[in-house]
Amino acid sequence: MLTDVLAWFADPANWQGEGGILNRLLEHVLLSVTATAAAALVGLPLAIWLGHLGRGGTLAINISNIGRAIPTFAVLLVLALGPIGTSYLGPYGRAGLATLVALVLFALPPIITNAYVGMREVDRDLVESARGMGMTGVQVLREVEIPLALPLIMSGLRLAVVQVWATATIAALVAGPGLGRIVTLGFVRQDLAQVVGGALVIAVIALALEVLMVTLQRRLDPVARAKRQAAGTSVLGSVELRS
Amino acid sequence: MSLFRRPLTSRRRVATAAVVAPLLLLGACAGDDALSSDGGGGGDTASAGGGTVVIGGQNYSEMQIMSSMYQALLEDAGYDVTLKLVESRDVYEPEMEKGNVDLSADYLSSMTEYLNKAENGPDAKVVASNDADATVEELQKLAAPRGIEPLEPAQAQDANAFAVTEEFARKNNLTSLSDLGKLGSPIKLAAAEDCSQRTDCEIGLEKTYGIDISKVEPLGFGTQGTKDALAKGEVQLGQVGTSDATLEDLGLVLLEDDKELQNAENLVPMVNSDFLKANRDVATVLNEMSAGLSTDDLATMIGKVDGNRELPEDVARAYLQDKGLIS
Repeated sequence: MLTDVLAWFADPANWQGEGGILNRLLEHVLLSVTATAAAALVGLPLAIWLGHLGRGGTLAINISNIGRAIPTFAVLLVLALGPIGTSYLGPYGRAGLATLVALVLFALPPIITNAYVGMREVDRDLVESARGMGMTGVQVLREVEIPLALPLIMSGLRLAVVQVWATATIAALVAGPGLGRIVTLGFVRQDLAQVVGGALVIAVIALALEVLMVTLQRRLDPVARAKRQAAGTSVLGSVELRS
Repeated sequence: MSLFRRPLTSRRRVATAAVVAPLLLLGACAGDDALSSDGGGGGDTASAGGGTVVIGGQNYSEMQIMSSMYQALLEDAGYDVTLKLVESRDVYEPEMEKGNVDLSADYLSSMTEYLNKAENGPDAKVVASNDADATVEELQKLAAPRGIEPLEPAQAQDANAFAVTEEFARKNNLTSLSDLGKLGSPIKLAAAEDCSQRTDCEIGLEKTYGIDISKVEPLGFGTQGTKDALAKGEVQLGQVGTSDATLEDLGLVLLEDDKELQNAENLVPMVNSDFLKANRDVATVLNEMSAGLSTDDLATMIGKVDGNRELPEDVARAYLQDKGLIS
């Protein structure tokens, strides 16, 4: 079995052409990046703004959580059969819009929930102090709340990225693009090596994305960064930030 | 013919593809648990007309009906029957070799090619054909070393076929695939994912029938997706099964395979050889039923199950009683 899978990877024919690993990988990246970016573009401003106001978050979280309660595949089928349809959408292929919408709905809950909670978890004393120093609402948001909420915001994005990457395989089930097609084709051809090979590509990259996002999350965390700097340079009197 | 040709009902088939990969990965261990728990089988039951039988098979309307017929017939012959239907052939087939499953309903060419690919790899040369007798011989050759064998195939078939909308057929005066070839216009096809590489799909449609296939949408064999795409006019031609009872309601008609491109897919009982040796009367009972079962009979039964929501076992029983095969 293992040797079959290795042989499948070693065969250059499996990497080239429309159905090859490279092209399917590119399609998959495009699909995942677009869906995650769109979800972040919609979800982050909304969650951060609501978090800043301290209102409406529960409602937003609950609405976005509907996306978690309904299986993405069901959403995709309903969208494809219903109003959005199965027409081609550029590089996103057959039922491209339905696939993107289904993936965005799937990516929204972790992004909104984490960003909102991150904003609410910022120490109220710090926010009060910032206001006391004369900062405007926007300044408080930009200089205090967002930096301190960043670890959780990033954690939401990380979840979304990895989930969407793995779930984008469902595009294959409506004859769309992406790595899922390698698996479905292998399945129909009764080629277990191809099924496992395709699944491995998806899984390994999902893990790599997770590691990448964790690293990014650590890098961007201002508290950890401040601590590192403090430890590294041993500057006396450096402000210790607590969150 | 591919292994997963008819793994599920049209509706469920799509959904299951989503869990295909994990299922396959778990296949080996899950299969053991799913089937061997109380699958003692009747292999060592010496006396005819008694003992236990475990019937395995795939879990969608057509196979539920076939398995229910086998069950009713064997119960009538005095056997104690356990029915274990699962999602795909590679769960029950290995168990049949081991004797944990004694009997299953299968498709002639699909089963032949399943064993062919299991033996000779995914790119094995196709040995099944349009000729049912020749295919049975190939099947016997492939099955024997594995300790299983086919009984007499039924006349009833669920072969691959190609459908168009009634309107399209009427407008262009089509009754066969040759007619479609003569029409000469570019045709979009919805079919199984591997269609482009298959001689009984895109390659054959182009070479044998001269049909200009402009695009293949990999929507699956006989799936709801394929039939919807046809009905909506997204594609002009769709790959479906001959015993599909929903075609008429959807306004779809089959084009005749007048150049015999498709493999014979007669419904055939596969049995564990040891079990059969100990229970010869099983062959007699099942062969008698197979001899009288036509594709129309089968399609009618499937229509009752899928359309009227009748239970497969009731439909199977009613048919057998009607034919005087059980009391």
